[in-house]
Amino acid sequence: MSQKRLYELIYIVSPDATEQAVAELHTQVDAIVTRLHGEMVRTENWGRRRLAYRIGKHREGTYVLEVFNGSGELTKELDRRLKVTDSVIRHLLVRVDEDLKVAERDRARRQVEIDKRVAKGLPPLGQGRRRNHDDAGDDDDNDRAEV
Amino acid sequence: MAEERGSRHSSGPKGRGGSRGAEKGGPRRSMFRRRKVCKFCTDKIDFIDYKDVKMLQPFIPERAKIIPRRISGVCAMHQRTLQTAIKRARLLALLPYVTD
Repeated sequence: MSQKRLYELIYIVSPDATEQAVAELHTQVDAIVTRLHGEMVRTENWGRRRLAYRIGKHREGTYVLEVFNGSGELTKELDRRLKVTDSVIRHLLVRVDEDLKVAERDRARRQVEIDKRVAKGLPPLGQGRRRNHDDAGDDDDNDRAEV
Repeated sequence: MAEERGSRHSSGPKGRGGSRGAEKGGPRRSMFRRRKVCKFCTDKIDFIDYKDVKMLQPFIPERAKIIPRRISGVCAMHQRTLQTAIKRARLLALLPYVTD
């Protein structure tokens, strides 16, 4: 019954942590995900970055991004675990599949539009928008000409 | 009240005269007003990603406040998604809440 949803997890590891500790944290996350019937999609380590503001006493941190499929229970467990982990100074877990679906739908819709235009023999781009800009410019010139 | 009106009258013609001297099209709003268009609609960005700091940064100028869409020209739908993206980025210390 558990639904498959796509989640993005970003956590900031304290700058004092060694690379080994960061790797260990990743394997821990991986273990939780697989234990609760999720699957990892990809992982990115952004490395050490400067924070935009101080968190606690830290001015920089190591960012790690994890993308995975899973259920709501899985996110609950991950959230809880990351909260109690001292080396993680901040984390954010968001569901992204819906947003990506919407984005995909918009892209598909635009593709259909382009295909229609091509079928009609029109150039694929060049909607009214750009034209309006030019028109506005012309209007300005006309005003001046009247004067 | 009367005073106010009087002052307005006195300043009115002067101002108009000044602009007439410079250029007659001045008082008209058609001067340099560009029609504002939504950046995300024209660039065809479907998904505003909170991880993309470079894209979000133009919308939080020096005090790190989110600029209103009457200034940026972003459409209502994209302003809403932009708002959540900026707020998420702030939580992750990718963007500042305030700068002074």
